[in-house]
Amino acid sequence: MRDQKLELGVGAFMLLGLAALVYLTLKLGAGEFVGGDTYRVEARFANTGGLSQGATVMLAGVIVGRVEGMRLDEADYSAIVDLRIRSEVRLPSDTMASIKTSGLIGDKYIALAPGAEEEFLEPSARIIMTESAVELESLISKMAFGSVNEAEAGSPEESAATPDPAP
Amino acid sequence: MKLWFFLLGTAMVLGAPARAAGDAESSLREGLSEILAVTEGAKGGRPMADRLQPILEKRICFESMTRRAVGPGWRQFTTAQQEEATKLFTKLIIRSYSSKFTPGQRPEVNYLKGTSPAPGKIEIPITILYKGSRYSIVYRMENRGRWLVTDILAEGVSLVANYRAQFDGLYKKGGATAVLDSLRQSVART
Repeated sequence: MRDQKLELGVGAFMLLGLAALVYLTLKLGAGEFVGGDTYRVEARFANTGGLSQGATVMLAGVIVGRVEGMRLDEADYSAIVDLRIRSEVRLPSDTMASIKTSGLIGDKYIALAPGAEEEFLEPSARIIMTESAVELESLISKMAFGSVNEAEAGSPEESAATPDPAP
Repeated sequence: MKLWFFLLGTAMVLGAPARAAGDAESSLREGLSEILAVTEGAKGGRPMADRLQPILEKRICFESMTRRAVGPGWRQFTTAQQEEATKLFTKLIIRSYSSKFTPGQRPEVNYLKGTSPAPGKIEIPITILYKGSRYSIVYRMENRGRWLVTDILAEGVSLVANYRAQFDGLYKKGGATAVLDSLRQSVART
């Protein structure tokens, strides 16, 4: 009898845990943990560099939203990122959205830097001014291997003599 | 007849983004060509910044660039402070841009396909091969009666975002005076 009660208790506890997990997943997915009412804006990036759904959106180091989803714009193969922002945070139309990394190998997040415009982004509007993720690997390789044509680098005469594809 | 007007109108609307991209790219090509002609021919005499100033002022919207670089603090600047900030920032950008060129050397420029993130705005990526290194640059342009550059991204890093991060911090510490002091010092150093 006592064992049965214990088993029932453990079972109930497990169910409660599972329910909490489902609740958390649903809320987090909808971006509701940002707190209260929210609105959606989108931002276009050339490269999201591994940004994931649910990543934080920060303004002045304060979490003001979450990444709700991402999709590919087939017209130009850029990434469109949907952001869920707290409704009390009004963003000027020239707000800059940059993909940053917390620490050297940390998670990716979006940092917002409001601009000076007096018009504000409406719900579903698109942030035009964006900075894609800067790939440290490619910068390091450029620094390490730098020159793509050593001969040209050291010889201005040769460089000036080469045909110029620019108009 | 009505059908012809409808078809003509639709064709014009559908063709508008492509035309806009073409116009913006022509404007950019023209500007870069003028700049390269000056840098290639410059040997001695006037400083490079003085030679490039009229071309850059014609192609870049410095007023918008300064406002966006300063960020939210801009609204609290007086008109006189806004004018001084624009003047100083213009000088700073022209001088630092001009210092990147070596007289007599001509970079190799390749234009890539531009994209329009919103009506009246366009981003044109280019690659530059200069002194043996390849750089990727994106010019953000806006149609303000004519196509003007409003931001430049070098290897993905935005000029406006870079300065906004610095100016915003200065503004929060010391207001418009701190931003203007920093600009005066930077211009004096370049």
